[in-house]
Amino acid sequence: MSEPQRAKAPDAGEQAKVGVYICYCGGNISDHVDVEKVRERMETVPGVAVARTNMFMCSDPGQELIMEDLRQGRINRVVVASCAPSLHESTFRSAIARAGGNPYQYEHANIREQVSWVHHGQAATDKASRLIAAATGKARTLTPLEPLRVTARRHAVVIGGGIAGMRAALDLADMGVRVALVEKTPYLGGGVSRLVRLAPTGEDAAHLVTTLARRILEHPGITVHAGSAVTTFGGYVGNFTLGVSPVPGACAPAGETWPGGYVPGKGVLVPPSPDGGAITLETGVVVLATGFASYIPRPGEYGFGENAEVVTLPDLIQKIGGLEGQRGGTLVIDGRPIRSMALIHCVGSRQIPGIHEEDANGHLNEHCSRVCCTSAINTANAIREACPQTSVYELYRDIRTYGRGQEELYAKASGNRVVFMRFGADQAPVVQRGAPGSGHPLKVTVTDQLTFGEELEVPVDLVVLATGMEPGPVADLVEMLKLPVGADRFLLETHPKLRPVELPIAGIFLAGTCQAPMDAGETCNAASAAAVKAVSLLSKGYVELDPFVAEVDVRRCTGTGACVQACLNPGAIALETMDIDGRPVTRARVTPALCLGCGACVAVCPENAIDINGWTLAQYEAMVDMIVSDAVCQDSGAVPETVGA
Amino acid sequence: MGSQTGATAQDKILLLATESCAYPGADSVGQAHASYPANVYVLKVKAPVLFPEKFYLDCFRKGIGGIIIMSCGEECPYEGAYKAMAKRLDRVYELMKEEGLDIRRLRLTAICTVCNRAFLNEVNQMNQIVHELSPPVQAP
Repeated sequence: MSEPQRAKAPDAGEQAKVGVYICYCGGNISDHVDVEKVRERMETVPGVAVARTNMFMCSDPGQELIMEDLRQGRINRVVVASCAPSLHESTFRSAIARAGGNPYQYEHANIREQVSWVHHGQAATDKASRLIAAATGKARTLTPLEPLRVTARRHAVVIGGGIAGMRAALDLADMGVRVALVEKTPYLGGGVSRLVRLAPTGEDAAHLVTTLARRILEHPGITVHAGSAVTTFGGYVGNFTLGVSPVPGACAPAGETWPGGYVPGKGVLVPPSPDGGAITLETGVVVLATGFASYIPRPGEYGFGENAEVVTLPDLIQKIGGLEGQRGGTLVIDGRPIRSMALIHCVGSRQIPGIHEEDANGHLNEHCSRVCCTSAINTANAIREACPQTSVYELYRDIRTYGRGQEELYAKASGNRVVFMRFGADQAPVVQRGAPGSGHPLKVTVTDQLTFGEELEVPVDLVVLATGMEPGPVADLVEMLKLPVGADRFLLETHPKLRPVELPIAGIFLAGTCQAPMDAGETCNAASAAAVKAVSLLSKGYVELDPFVAEVDVRRCTGTGACVQACLNPGAIALETMDIDGRPVTRARVTPALCLGCGACVAVCPENAIDINGWTLAQYEAMVDMIVSDAVCQDSGAVPETVGA
Repeated sequence: MGSQTGATAQDKILLLATESCAYPGADSVGQAHASYPANVYVLKVKAPVLFPEKFYLDCFRKGIGGIIIMSCGEECPYEGAYKAMAKRLDRVYELMKEEGLDIRRLRLTAICTVCNRAFLNEVNQMNQIVHELSPPVQAP
């Protein structure tokens, strides 16, 4: 890491003029907090020069309020009271910087997630008042800081060689960033290699995968590490270090195909890497494109595992391929004519507590997998068009053919005389062996809502389960990279709209179905978005880190060395001999680039001579003082009010 | 869930919540709109190892009724910080005893970014303790 540059010396002498800006959040806050009353209270707080409100502080007019006050010299410190700081702290810091202020003379009061969404009435207004007052207490003592600037490697590691990883890698490399693509199997292609014709356009999956993979393998800016996995991870944005090791047993069967050739269901075989063994990758950003896993039904779920005639939709797609040679008659699978088949939707998706059984780990897939309706209908159309003697029944809960061209597939299915039956979540169809002599090995019984609850029995030769998408098996990466995971167990972006492909960990991006179920088109959109975000981060050649590191007040330091002993990152603080007032003395000195900012040194200094910039002990004390103070509002004297969760 | 109390000076509870775990955990409780008593004030910290013994005692002197240190536990991004702080807390407990403070007023726990239930449990338990130790001021 390069030595950070610190531009300006803190200007502590200037008198604090705090501007307080309180957000209504379009009712999210103001429905529970009397925002105008809070503003009135803030006007009485020492050090507060102006207090204003706005319907949306994050909007341009909201930010302009702050910027205008800064430009007019009315304020030199800013407190914004709004949503969680993870959403808009950077928005407001940036507005301050644009108006010529110091972005670190800013404090955030979280009055949405931690007040209006959890408290109500007078109690909410009072708590918001105290929290904002506390923020002003801290803001008054904030000194100007400059971000730590560190060199960023113009290099990206993409984890996952499916369509998302390939799309992201190509976009990154085409924009001049060197890319290492790490894929745990020996193939490039991922989930799309297990498909044949992509809905709704009918694009050939093999052609798509082959085209992308060849471009990847020929691209001088991309190195592919196939059959390898990330085993260690460290560093920070701009300067990550990843250990990559071969996955034991991950090699293609000998003679299966030639490097660069396409294997249906697997993808394009990557030529063996010359380095072979474990390697270390030094990179500026990481793009996660780890994909999804297909839901595997429980034994006995719709007869799965107990009847050979019950298969999953991904298995059926691979078995029938492009329906070559099956024209004009009855579909034949494994030598068996399929005169009648049932496709059951929502298997392993939209599971409901109390109705569906949890998996071995206690998980339910409560999410909609989004792609299975279209995939099932696409398959039904293909079969009906190629094999008109095969009857197809679709048993569904709701049809969600949501994207461009997908509703047309649904309409086409009606034209193709696919028969639809609708079941309730608590009335799942029952798959049983067919009656002897019925001529069909299975029968499906369903209470059909489309015929007003009539119980229908369908004799079938095949039952196909439209299984959903589950989070991929990435527990090791989640642990290693400290990745946030949503309630649905997919990787969780910082914000679905404001930062849709970013994580709270700077420099790590999400691409594709590791984040949520998506179809191939959406996956490519997400991957390109991640690539562009990554490139824009690396484009300056450096990244700026928050300057929240320890700093020694050499006037107070007596050189006890307690901080050096307490430091959790050896080398970040050292005792040095320096000249003060013409005398050589021993004092502590911090190397900002190595300081973690944890504050272990702060607690042990007997002279209070070391602090974390932006998070000083005195600032915490000031916040506590304001929280206990009755200056902005009197304690109301317990009036309990029970509120439902 | 929980009750909203007009906080009295004695029953304010401070949560020292780590920025990488418990603070987003508190936000997650908010996103779930799960209510808890309004006498709870969350302060974001990088690592609670920053606070010396005196900070805790001063808080109690100022009238804070209870403090929950919501750390990252084993997920702590600063290796060694959790251990160093746990050791410091032993000394804080000793000092609390010397000053006649009930040590249940200070609690160390680990809260993850989605540990809503654990967060609410901790907050409610500390509320019970604080109310038991200093009964709410009677409404006029």
